[in-house]
This record gives sequence, structure tokens and C-alpha cells, in this order.
Amino acid sequence: MKRTLIALVAILALAAAPAAFAQETRWVNVNVSETSSGTNVEVHLPLDLVLTVLRNVDVENFHGGQVDLELDDTDINWPEIMKAVKDAPDGKFVTVTSNEANVNVRKEGGTLYVDVEEKSEDMAKVQVTMPMAMMDALTPGEGNTIDVAALLSSFDKLPDGELVRVTSNDANVRVWIE
Amino acid sequence: MSGQRGVSTLGAVLLAGTAGLLTATLLMDWMVVDVHVVDETPVHIKVPFPLVIADMATGLIPEEALREAKIPPEAKAQKELVLAAVRALADCPDAQLVKVRTEDASVDIIKDGDTLRIAVDADDAVVRCNIPIDGVAEALEEWDWETADPKMLFDVLRAADNGELVTVATDDGVRVAITMW
Repeated sequence: MKRTLIALVAILALAAAPAAFAQETRWVNVNVSETSSGTNVEVHLPLDLVLTVLRNVDVENFHGGQVDLELDDTDINWPEIMKAVKDAPDGKFVTVTSNEANVNVRKEGGTLYVDVEEKSEDMAKVQVTMPMAMMDALTPGEGNTIDVAALLSSFDKLPDGELVRVTSNDANVRVWIE
Repeated sequence: MSGQRGVSTLGAVLLAGTAGLLTATLLMDWMVVDVHVVDETPVHIKVPFPLVIADMATGLIPEEALREAKIPPEAKAQKELVLAAVRALADCPDAQLVKVRTEDASVDIIKDGDTLRIAVDADDAVVRCNIPIDGVAEALEEWDWETADPKMLFDVLRAADNGELVTVATDDGVRVAITMW
């Protein structure tokens, strides 16, 4: 009886192993719709494919997945700033109200939300959702470079959801991960 | 009696030859180019083309002519990027990757197994293209990225599934189809 039970458990464990180790494909989605022309573009790409391409791009200011910000003259301690943001408790960080636009930066449940609302011209509304897992990757490195590939790799750890939404009179843009 | 045996031997040889030819024909990859023009003077041309002949024909192209057909060095600089992208595409799961809708055209790019299906529906033309991803990857890996190599094209064609590879239909009545068989 005991031997049968052990064999049954072993079979169940073997059957469950592939499911446990199977890596689910993450998808990067971009949707751009232009109101005036009725144009709609939907891009649905596996994160691995995007990463592979990014890591192999070798053009000016963009090498091996890293973009050079050319911030040589500035003296900003990015790691310190990013750490401060990561460690900060939830709450409203920035609120700007003006005739041109409203800006709101807040942290909720470990996620940073940036909302910008334009009050003239295109009446654009930008909403950026930035989970803390993305903050490390966003920190510029020693050569003032941002590792875009690492930033995208961090998407792998994120739950499904929207990262960027831009709505305006002219066009709407949505970037989300699933 | 010996005359009867001679006839039967000849018959057997002919039969074996026909069977061999038929088998070789069936085993060979064929490309069929079908051009159909529908206007006042309709034209329909259908050219079946065994790829093995194409291979032999490319071998006859003078090397000098191929040397002159130089590919810009910028292409070779992007070799790794292109190869990595094609390999990643081959490995990714099936899905609709791109969907574009405008007032006068629509574009769909779908990964379906080893095939990348591209469909363009414009006001003046409809294009369908089925690209064998593995075939493209292998051909690009073998290519020197310096000279135009017609053999590469036939390697891609050979890797394609049987069926329509490319169809182009224009609004002025021209239909071109390249079918693999």
C-alpha cells in the first residue's frame, strides 16, 4: 500500500513538473489609433522577441540594449533618487496645477503613477504606471545610459496590466503587458 | 518466343523508366508561376518549374556577374540583428503580431507555425505572402551578406510548405500567384 502511494506521488510529481517549470510567454502590446484618419495599429509581440532584437541593435546612441542619454554635463545622482522613490511610503509626491496642465505623481501599493493632463491644444492626457520592479532598470548607469533591455526584462516580473495610456484629440496610445 | 521476351523486356524498361520519372517528378519540389491578366486581351501563363533546375541554372551564372551584384556593407552590419530577430520569431508562439487598419488599406502579420503570413489589402491591390521562417533563417545563416545570391531564394522556396507562397491581385485585372508543389 505504502509502495503504491509512493509510486502515485512520484507519478503526480513528474506530471506536475513540466507545468511548474513551463514559462508563460509574456506579450508586449501597443495600440495606436489616430482619430482624424481612422488609422488603427495593433502590435502584439512576445517580450522575448522584443528583447532579442533590442539586445542586437547597434546604432548611434543605442548599443546592446542600452541607450546613451548624453547627460555628461549633469551631475545627478540617479541611483540615490531612484532608491528614495523605491523606499518612499505610499502617498502623493507631486501635484502641479496650472492653466496649461495638471501633473500628479503618486505611489500606491508599491506602484508609481504619473498623470499629466493638458488643458490646451490637444487636451492630451498621459497616464504612466510604473511598478517598482521597473525602477532599478530605469536608473541610468555609470555612463549615463539606460538599459532599455533590462527595463523590458523587468516586464517579465510584472503582473498583466497597462503601463502607458495617452489620450488626446488627435490620437490614443496604449501600451500594456500580458 | 525470344521476340516476345524482347518486347516484354522493352515494356518493362519503359514502365520502370516512366515510374522512375513519375517518382522523381513527385519527389521534386516544384514552383508554379501563374500569371493571369483579365482585360480586353486576356492572358493566362502557367509555368511549372522544378527547383532542382533552378539550382542548376544558378550554378551557371558567371561568378563575375554575382561579384558585381554587391550588397551594401550596411546590410552585413545588421546580420546579427536580423538573424536574432528571425530566430526569435521562429521560437515565439503563434499569434497575430501586427494589425493595421487605415481608410484605404489593412495589413495583418500572423505567425502560424513555421509560416509568417502577411496579408495586405489595399484599394488597388491585394497581396498574400506566406514566408517559411525556418527556411529564411537557414538561408540567411548560409548567405555571405555581401553578394546577391539567387541560390538563397531557392533555399527559402524549398523550405516553404506546399500551397500558395505569394499571390498578388491588382485592381487592373492582373493576378500573379507563386505556388509550391
